[in-house]
Amino acid sequence: MQTTSAKPGGALAPQKTIWERIKGLFRITEFVLLLIIIGLFILGWVINPRFVNPGNLQILFRDTALLAIAAIGVGFTILTGGIDLSVGSIVGLAGVMSAYFMMTWKLPIWLSIILTLFLGLLIGLYHGLFVTKLKMHGFLITLVTMGLARGAILVLTNAFPITGLPRGFTNIGQEYVLGIPIPVLIAIVVAVVAYYLLRYTYIGRQIYAVGGNVDAARFSGVSVDKRIILCYIVSVVCASVVGMIQAARLSLGHPGSGEGYELLAITACILGGISFMGGQGGVIGIVVGALLIGTLQNLLVMVNVNPYWHKIVISLVLLAAITIDYARRRRRV
Amino acid sequence: MADQPLLHMEHISKRFPGVQALDNVDFEVQQGEILGFLGENGAGKSTLVKILSGVYSKDQGTIRFKGQQVEMRSPHEAQEVGITTIYQELALVPYLSVAENIFLNREPRRVRQIGLVDFKTQKKLAEEIMADLGVEIPGDRLVKDLTVAAQQMVEIARAVSRNASLILMDEPTSALSSKEVDALFSLMRRLKEKGVSVVFISHRLDEVLAVVDRIVVMRDGQRVGTMMRSEATETNIIRMMVGREVGLFPKEDAPVGETVLEVRNLSGANGVRDVSFSIRQGEIVGLAGLVGAGRTEVARLITGADHIKGGEILIEGKPARIRDTADAVRAGIGWVPEDRKQHGLVLMMDVKSNISLAILKRISGLLGSVRFKEEREIAEEYIRALSIATPGISQTVSNLSGGNQQKVVVAKWLSAKPKLLIMDEPTRGIDVGAKAEVHALMSRLAKEGMAILMISSEMPEIIGMSDRVIVMCQGRVTGEFARPNLSQEEIMTCATRFLRLDAVDETGAVIAPTEAGDREVAMAVHQANE
Repeated sequence: MQTTSAKPGGALAPQKTIWERIKGLFRITEFVLLLIIIGLFILGWVINPRFVNPGNLQILFRDTALLAIAAIGVGFTILTGGIDLSVGSIVGLAGVMSAYFMMTWKLPIWLSIILTLFLGLLIGLYHGLFVTKLKMHGFLITLVTMGLARGAILVLTNAFPITGLPRGFTNIGQEYVLGIPIPVLIAIVVAVVAYYLLRYTYIGRQIYAVGGNVDAARFSGVSVDKRIILCYIVSVVCASVVGMIQAARLSLGHPGSGEGYELLAITACILGGISFMGGQGGVIGIVVGALLIGTLQNLLVMVNVNPYWHKIVISLVLLAAITIDYARRRRRV
Repeated sequence: MADQPLLHMEHISKRFPGVQALDNVDFEVQQGEILGFLGENGAGKSTLVKILSGVYSKDQGTIRFKGQQVEMRSPHEAQEVGITTIYQELALVPYLSVAENIFLNREPRRVRQIGLVDFKTQKKLAEEIMADLGVEIPGDRLVKDLTVAAQQMVEIARAVSRNASLILMDEPTSALSSKEVDALFSLMRRLKEKGVSVVFISHRLDEVLAVVDRIVVMRDGQRVGTMMRSEATETNIIRMMVGREVGLFPKEDAPVGETVLEVRNLSGANGVRDVSFSIRQGEIVGLAGLVGAGRTEVARLITGADHIKGGEILIEGKPARIRDTADAVRAGIGWVPEDRKQHGLVLMMDVKSNISLAILKRISGLLGSVRFKEEREIAEEYIRALSIATPGISQTVSNLSGGNQQKVVVAKWLSAKPKLLIMDEPTRGIDVGAKAEVHALMSRLAKEGMAILMISSEMPEIIGMSDRVIVMCQGRVTGEFARPNLSQEEIMTCATRFLRLDAVDETGAVIAPTEAGDREVAMAVHQANE
């Protein structure tokens, strides 16, 4: 005779052994990423002890903060099953535009910031309208913006940086509150708001539903178009925030700023478990993904890897992340 | 005693998250027999078939085929062994010819070394193979131009030409007309004569009884019985499948109240023309007609999925502006769509989130945050009320069986407390037991004062469940009947009303019926003429 354990469909949670619990932990993307990050820290500390100096750590976290903000933005579009390729160009445009408002138009700092954010909102809105009303894939319309925004920057600046930004503005990128860099604080606020929105509000739930099955969401009365447009706006506005912080850090609006940033932001999302099919993943994953890339980039500098190789390393990380993402989905049941 | 069976599976178990899909199942197929494989949705039939065809891996058990132990790690390996599965979704290349499909990847060559295909021989061989099975299809015809039935035959011919000795057919008749079903059955008998075994899965018991030699019944992941054809009847099969007696179509009389929905001269770009009807509280109104008659399109207009071109929709006597689905949901209209996976559920979300999807705003408070406790209570309430079989509210919906998924869609709408519930083919692809449950539920809802618009292609369902039946043909209403004056013949006559006229509408444009519609029309006309 055979002893039968757990009846089919039993509602009781079966007793888990410690080993099973540990195995369960390893199935959580965020946990594995954290382990890798810790590994990178140890590696960096061994090769070059200056890696863990407070000064370097502040740089690391400031870089990570910027990347996290941009990645959270892109993450919203990927959640809906779309993408935003314009991130890098928007980062550049927002930096240059805010500098332009302040230096050329002589507008006050607060108004320049608001105008830049508003410009971001408009660009996001136009992305969203193309995606929802024309049923265009986000890839195409944001690809157009990617080129347009870069071009606009060059026209505005003649490819020269706009310098001499006022102290009040540059503080945003350079000062500290309670020993924490202001960009990190901004990133924390963005992450908390995004987490709350996605995890706790009906809007967030509807965004997941749209990403999971547009038709089912639509037939359940979800205003699908509004949600998608919102996600594209969030993406560009986040990128605009990053652009301004970047400009504040450098004290100038640099035309080349944000070049290639979309690669980093999308990689952070995929690493963090945002599925390219839409409807799966969360803010914590994105933040951890951004931290991994921030750490990796910093490490590459600290251990003197030729900068020309950085992009290759990051792209290989992206390759690994998508391979794992797709392999996981293909795994036989 | 028969000697060794062709296929012998022993102690097969398979577990999915939260469900024991197969629990220590033995299964055998004799050489040259047609085996009916029955069970409710979720009973484990499909899982077993998928293990046999190499799609799933088994957790436990052994498979012996032709006396040898085999392991199928992919559909390709299963085919190598000699087991082929014909799925509902066909696996042919549409833009290649019949012969090319049959000989895909092993084309006869003219000159072996340079790989020139000998098309003439290929066509001849393909036609020979098919003729041997009693099928006559020109070998050079493109597969996309064939009917579903003919495509199925081509697939079977391909399997035979690859020396398949066991062919699994999962619901092969669901898209076929009765004449095509007969043709398929004679093909199955031909296969049997040639010593090929067939496992036939179907929800239509009459069909199963018409063709099989032996029946194996599954329930809840276990094999619950075996019957020879001679001892099987519909009643005792159903009893074995569900483990209890099943009543069919229990629509009870309900007090009829106020008019909930009235549509006047409704027209849409989707082919609906000048449709008027009304539904009152406590009523179930059946929308009958052939596939392509415009029934689902009416539902799409009412639910805001398609745009209205003319006419108006009144809800509780007041004109309603329905521009999109959100408006319809706000106006109190729920829609259980025909295709639950495509239109009804977010499969990777859990049960709770799917149930609350239509009422998220209502259960959200300050700053738009969802009141999780309320959401959980609502989900639990409807899981209980509809007896949805799920390990918990956080189970991913894709892990549930078809019937339970359907109940989740229904739960979603019930929680929204709609005034009007539209149910499009509410029991399609659901097994007998769950079907009776859904019908009992509809009856109860009507009794509680809900108005239900039911679209159904199953005549017994229409006649059994409806208080009134509205018949459509080519986008128009062609008849209306009230209980107890419901007769299958009259409904069918109305459903084919325009088909005997020239298919030309008022504007002079020729109406092109859909392909599926065509088939049903031919069938209906055939039936009507008898």
